[in-house]
Amino acid sequence: MHALEVKNLSKRFGDVQAVDDASFVVPEGSIFGLIGRNGAGKTTTIRMMMNIYLPDSGEVILRGAKVGQDFRSSVGYLPEERGLYKKMKIIDLLMFFAEIKGKKGDNVKKRALDFLEKFSLTDRQNSKLEDLSKGNQQKVQFIATILHDPEFLVLDEPFTGLDPINIDILKDIILQLKKAGKVIIFSTHLMDFAEKMCDHIAMIDNGKIILSGSLKELKGQHARRNISIKYEGDISFLNDLPMVEKVTDFGNATGVRVKEPGQSQELLKLLVGKGVIVKSFNANEISLQEIFIEHAGSEEKEEKKSEVQYV
Amino acid sequence: MFNFRVSAVLKRELRERIMTKSFIISTLALPLIMVLIFGFQYLMLSMEGDAGTKIFIASEIDGVTEGLREEFAQRSWVKNGDYTITYQTMSGVDFEKYLEQHKSDVLSGKVTGIMFVPAAVLQDKKISYYSKSTRNLNLEEKISRVINRVFIDNYFKDKNISSQDIRYARINVNFNTFKITKDEGIKKESGGNLALAYIFSFLLYISLLMMGGMVMNSVIEEKTNRVCEVILSSVSARELMTGKILGSALTGLLQMVVWLTPILVVIGFKLPVLPVGLVIQISTWQVLYFLLNFFIGLLTFVGLYATVGAIFNTPQEAQGAVAPLMMLIVIPFLITISLIKNPTNTLAEVASMIPFASIIVMPARMTLIDVPLWQFLLSFAINVGTILALFPFAGKIYRIGILRTGKKPQLKEVVKWLKMTH
Repeated sequence: MHALEVKNLSKRFGDVQAVDDASFVVPEGSIFGLIGRNGAGKTTTIRMMMNIYLPDSGEVILRGAKVGQDFRSSVGYLPEERGLYKKMKIIDLLMFFAEIKGKKGDNVKKRALDFLEKFSLTDRQNSKLEDLSKGNQQKVQFIATILHDPEFLVLDEPFTGLDPINIDILKDIILQLKKAGKVIIFSTHLMDFAEKMCDHIAMIDNGKIILSGSLKELKGQHARRNISIKYEGDISFLNDLPMVEKVTDFGNATGVRVKEPGQSQELLKLLVGKGVIVKSFNANEISLQEIFIEHAGSEEKEEKKSEVQYV
Repeated sequence: MFNFRVSAVLKRELRERIMTKSFIISTLALPLIMVLIFGFQYLMLSMEGDAGTKIFIASEIDGVTEGLREEFAQRSWVKNGDYTITYQTMSGVDFEKYLEQHKSDVLSGKVTGIMFVPAAVLQDKKISYYSKSTRNLNLEEKISRVINRVFIDNYFKDKNISSQDIRYARINVNFNTFKITKDEGIKKESGGNLALAYIFSFLLYISLLMMGGMVMNSVIEEKTNRVCEVILSSVSARELMTGKILGSALTGLLQMVVWLTPILVVIGFKLPVLPVGLVIQISTWQVLYFLLNFFIGLLTFVGLYATVGAIFNTPQEAQGAVAPLMMLIVIPFLITISLIKNPTNTLAEVASMIPFASIIVMPARMTLIDVPLWQFLLSFAINVGTILALFPFAGKIYRIGILRTGKKPQLKEVVKWLKMTH
């Protein structure tokens, strides 16, 4: 059974179809990435998963049942727009956010103090949030997200606005939580992070899911047609070959896309036959960025697309 | 509806509101300010500032001169030296000359005023008074009563009328007012309840405006802080709104209890701090009704203010929408003031049974007169009905509004929100 299943979600704001019939599954124990450009519909999808927006149609299934308050109580949510009560003391703030998830008492307080120690904020527990630096406020927000020991973690663009050190801290914690068996869902427009961390992904563009599944399999599927080569010699004849769809110069390597999976060996034979010195031939390497561009087109085309007003 | 999430939000609201300096200060300061205002008014009225008044009275009739001398000598304000009055009998012609000579004394302030009582006064009671300022009501009121007395005595002196008859003619009509109530029969009325009705309405008015504004700002703050999205991932918009409104309403109620306690202690134990003769009649039942009605009022208005807060991004943006909301509080308050002149006026009677106004007008009416039971029940039903009718809409606007940022929405858009599903 899937941990979470998103079925045919749609949401329209006025003239903008923010999410259009989106479906994907999040397997148990995985880190799941929802990937797309700004304004693609990531936040709206996540808000519908969190029951903050009601979908126009479609549903979200949690371990076989429709999501309700159970899901809310067992999820830790870090929205893209961070925000906490500025005038509250850190410790009171953390206790409040645990309490609305149904967790309170000395154990929670102890957990909160442990986390504050981990983030070296122990001496600030009685400070008001507004007296903390931006980075420290982010840490407090993250503690508030995980303090109630959620089974699910939903992080909307978790890495934006963090400095490299905090990004590393956050990555470590996410990986730890994964080891502890939690399901982690995050959205990002940063393909690098998604590629390094995710087991499964869904790509969203213009409100539509254009690709989803296990990252390994997706890469495998795409890699079979994409070959990265390093060579010495003349390969211009490739452009005239019927089996070659596209040749892209990446600088220190060249990408060649063939029409059919399985034509890579034929390509290697041809290259060797034409006297090209092949230094490296990698038929199993493709970046998520490349996959994304292949499916969603290049960035410039969409540049002028306006942000959804309600996001 | 009420669960641990609502209770967590409510507790946070209470802590946030009550444990602040501004709440403690405003709770303690308001009664103090009221006492100061009333005290200051009292002081201003009692400060007549007429000490050192010097008046010269010339009279053509010897008897009148003597009579005035005797009567004035008995007044406390002459005895204590506030007023110095000198008398002289002289003819009209002599007075003309005297006036000519002493004009400068009036101008320099040596003499406050010069009065001339002609012989004809025993026919028409017309006297002349010369001074720098002729609009001194205080002086006129004090002096004319004494003078009138002397004139009357002089007028009837030779007419063979008993002093008893004269005394009768002199008394003014005196209204003793009684209030007829259903259960307690006839009671002497002293204006105490009028003061109480005024205080009740004033506190109600101040508190509704204050708590309303407070909640609105707190909703706007949550919006600008972007904290509401995190909260909404655990708590539904309805739970958040319920917790916030209940929390603020309880805060307001607590504040009102603090304000009313000294008043009720004074009334209940008949403490001798009230002016003599001022009787206030109020039953425990009425106080409880007042508090319950106030709580309903808080829920209504705090709910409305929270909704307005959810629509806008800054308190400045919200100003335009708050104005009509304030009118819903201010106009009924002005109507209650009209009760002071006539507690049975129709405007107030109608206002006490229409939505929103009822909350403010009805308690004041109840303090002053016996409101028919049906009117009271109707008003109560209307107030509760208003809440029930209002909140589905308010909740929807709130739910959509708190997640919406960007440019200031127009009324048209807000109406559109009501049709949306999210």
